Amino acid sequence: MTGGIAPARAREAALLGAGAVVLTLGAGALLLLAGGYDPVAAGAAMLRGSVGSWNTFVSITLVRSVPLLFAGLAVALAFRAGVWNIGAEGQLYAGAVAGVWVALTFSGLPRPILIPAVLGVSCVAGAAWALVPTLMRLRLGIGEVITTILMNFVGIYMAAWMVHGPLQEERGVFPQTDRIVEAARLPTLIPGTRLHIGFALGLVIAVALAFMMRRTRFGFHIRAVGAAPEAAAVAGRIDPARIVFIAFLASGSIAGLAGAVEVSGLTYALYENLSEGWGYTAIAVALLAGLRPGGVVITAIFFGALRAGAGAMQRDAGIPAAWVDVVEALVILAVLGLERVRAARPGSDVREGET
Amino acid sequence: MPVTSTFRVWSSWRARTKAASVSEPLVRLRGVQRRFGQVHALTGADLDLFAGEVHGVLGANGAGKSTLFNVLGGLLAPDGGTIHVDGVPVSLASPRDAWALRIGLVHQHFTLVPALSVRENLALGTRGRSLDEIGQAVEATMDRTGLRVPLDATVASIGVGDRQRTEILKTLLRDPTVLVLDEPTAVLTPEEVSGLFQLLRDLAGEGRAVALVAHKLDEVLAVSDRLTVLREGRTVLAAHRNDVSARGLVVAMVGDGIADEMALGVHVDAPTGAGAGAAAASRPEVETDPEARQVVAQLSGVCGERLENVTLDVRAGEVLGVAGVEGNGQHELALVLSGRRPPAMGRAEVPDEVAYIPQDRRTEGLVSEFDLTENIALGLARLDRFGSGWLMPWDAMGEEAERIRTRFQVAAPSTATLASALSGGNQQRVIIGRELALGAPMLVAENPTRGLDVAAAAYVHGELERLAAEGVAIVLISTDLDEVLGLAERVVVMSRGHVIDVPADERTRAGVGALMLSGGGEVA
Repeated sequence: MTGGIAPARAREAALLGAGAVVLTLGAGALLLLAGGYDPVAAGAAMLRGSVGSWNTFVSITLVRSVPLLFAGLAVALAFRAGVWNIGAEGQLYAGAVAGVWVALTFSGLPRPILIPAVLGVSCVAGAAWALVPTLMRLRLGIGEVITTILMNFVGIYMAAWMVHGPLQEERGVFPQTDRIVEAARLPTLIPGTRLHIGFALGLVIAVALAFMMRRTRFGFHIRAVGAAPEAAAVAGRIDPARIVFIAFLASGSIAGLAGAVEVSGLTYALYENLSEGWGYTAIAVALLAGLRPGGVVITAIFFGALRAGAGAMQRDAGIPAAWVDVVEALVILAVLGLERVRAARPGSDVREGET
Repeated sequence: MPVTSTFRVWSSWRARTKAASVSEPLVRLRGVQRRFGQVHALTGADLDLFAGEVHGVLGANGAGKSTLFNVLGGLLAPDGGTIHVDGVPVSLASPRDAWALRIGLVHQHFTLVPALSVRENLALGTRGRSLDEIGQAVEATMDRTGLRVPLDATVASIGVGDRQRTEILKTLLRDPTVLVLDEPTAVLTPEEVSGLFQLLRDLAGEGRAVALVAHKLDEVLAVSDRLTVLREGRTVLAAHRNDVSARGLVVAMVGDGIADEMALGVHVDAPTGAGAGAAAASRPEVETDPEARQVVAQLSGVCGERLENVTLDVRAGEVLGVAGVEGNGQHELALVLSGRRPPAMGRAEVPDEVAYIPQDRRTEGLVSEFDLTENIALGLARLDRFGSGWLMPWDAMGEEAERIRTRFQVAAPSTATLASALSGGNQQRVIIGRELALGAPMLVAENPTRGLDVAAAAYVHGELERLAAEGVAIVLISTDLDEVLGLAERVVVMSRGHVIDVPADERTRAGVGALMLSGGGEVA
């Protein structure tokens, strides 16, 4: 067995996720108490900073959820296929670098061409970043968990070198690129807020992936290979290597898109440390969602809210934002633990399916 | 010395049990219940195991035999009922609890670590002794029991028969007073089975209680002192062997109505499914003259992993039996014949679609976390008659799954039941139903009745014969010599990757058995 994460059916997944959140926030509150903070004040600040007003929710929480949405979908897709892609972070940086390079180099192109070019090239770059671990797994039999993690470091430092070197701003002062032209920037989704069209694109991809998994032959093949590669090959006459190849690269391209969307939708420039570890948080996002694309939308927003609220907590209650990192890690542990408990429970073997 | 200490424990146990009262059962289970979701595996099982007896447990597939044994071994906590050991009520919440009461379970499915050697695997079950000491104890136990295994080979490299022997040895090394074996004979050769049975009798003679599930009625009758029959999770019969007839047992296992047909090996339901009819129509007419029958698959000079220059024709409407000791290339032959693996060398002409009943239904046959519909779709969705678009034909798959569930009498509440919730026999029914629905001109079946009870095995055999009569080429690969000889018109033996034709006049247990062991002499 390559992993213990069964893609639970919808209702089970929702229950499991809710249970994990309750457990985790409970443990998080205890941690705050142990640190001498007031969990109630912290909770209030958290809520105020994430869902305190319509504008807070849209311009902060939803905006912060966008890269988590893309990266979470990338991780969920890969995990569903039995590909343990821990490399969304590196693929995201590869996509961001490629996207910003297109936007800076071809700045004269009109918007209807430039934006698709930025996004398209970032997909290719993300897939290329995933290609190395993919080939190492399929040709050499090297586990992708290690190789994708290592490729993350390559990606992070490659981006850092870019903003110190080839792609550094004209002035040469800060480690960042020049701002991209207006024609390369994603339009606003809701006027008067900072929420850009990237959020809608993420939703479209989520719906497409959900449809693919449930309704298409290819999605069925992904699920079969992810659940039991031998049975997929023998009973289903599916070529598991082909499915792994496609799913791995597709996962890489969606993660690459996360980087480009962030740059062209929000920051308009590439910085060192663009990502707050979204590629890692994406693992928690995907697991909490039971690896279901629809669930990823919800959990990405949840983690976006946590991130948004963490800022307010730090400001208003003096609680270090690192608390959120702890909560994210606890979520992964809680999901994995609850999943095991569920699997061991009497009567767990029969679940209601939707297909 | 561990060798002598092992014997000392045995003899001291014998002394103890001789002193104990004979009328009191060593283990008494009453009204044991266990549910898996909506599937009630046990609804009220009783079992008495007396010291000094071999106790056979019989039942149709899904009757709850494995569940009951897993309860005894502490692997599954019962939802209700009582367990007494030596007259004391106990709770068996974990294998550790069972071992504390000296109850040892030999699993139906293997629990060995593939990457470790046999010796290391045997050592895993014992504590506080060096590998050398354990090695001596193992040698002694092997000598005593006649169960021989290659100690230094890794488990991954040995065959199923050796793994089964290793499992039994592992349990015996811990010197159980109650020995529970779930289908220990399924993968053993006839000689090994009789050796094992002698061993079980000896162990019982030492004052242990031995309980086993085995699927061949005559085997169980040959070895058991007393019998318990389960039906639908309930004990329906518990009797001394001399007090019941084979027919009486079959009736108890399957209930009244269908017992006559079952006992005669007649399949129960007529093939009326639309899919089967349509499939039959596309098949060639059956020639009565074997030589004139169309060649469906042809291998010439095929080499590959465990295959040495295999040349073989399979003709429409014949049942070709492939006998042999496990691990002599049968599985590899099955993969090539069924088009699942291209040969490394040589030519393999096989039909585009070949139905395949794999030996390992849990990893190759089904996806355990998929429901019935999804598992049916795994095999059938690729067929042209379900369209070639990029969408899954879920409606048609749901109908197929429901048809297969009813026609093959799969004991599942609905097609949304997960494969993992089904018993081995019901899983096999799903696979057979799915593969027959392919309507393929050839079927490769690898140990298709392994782990099935009498009734289910008869059913499978009936289906194979029916298909052959319809003109389907059947390749029956089995380590069960009786199965091969009973069904096949033509028999070959596989030995170290070679395929050896068995002449018609040597088609007997003795003749085929000799070829299995000698490998035909001249080839190897």
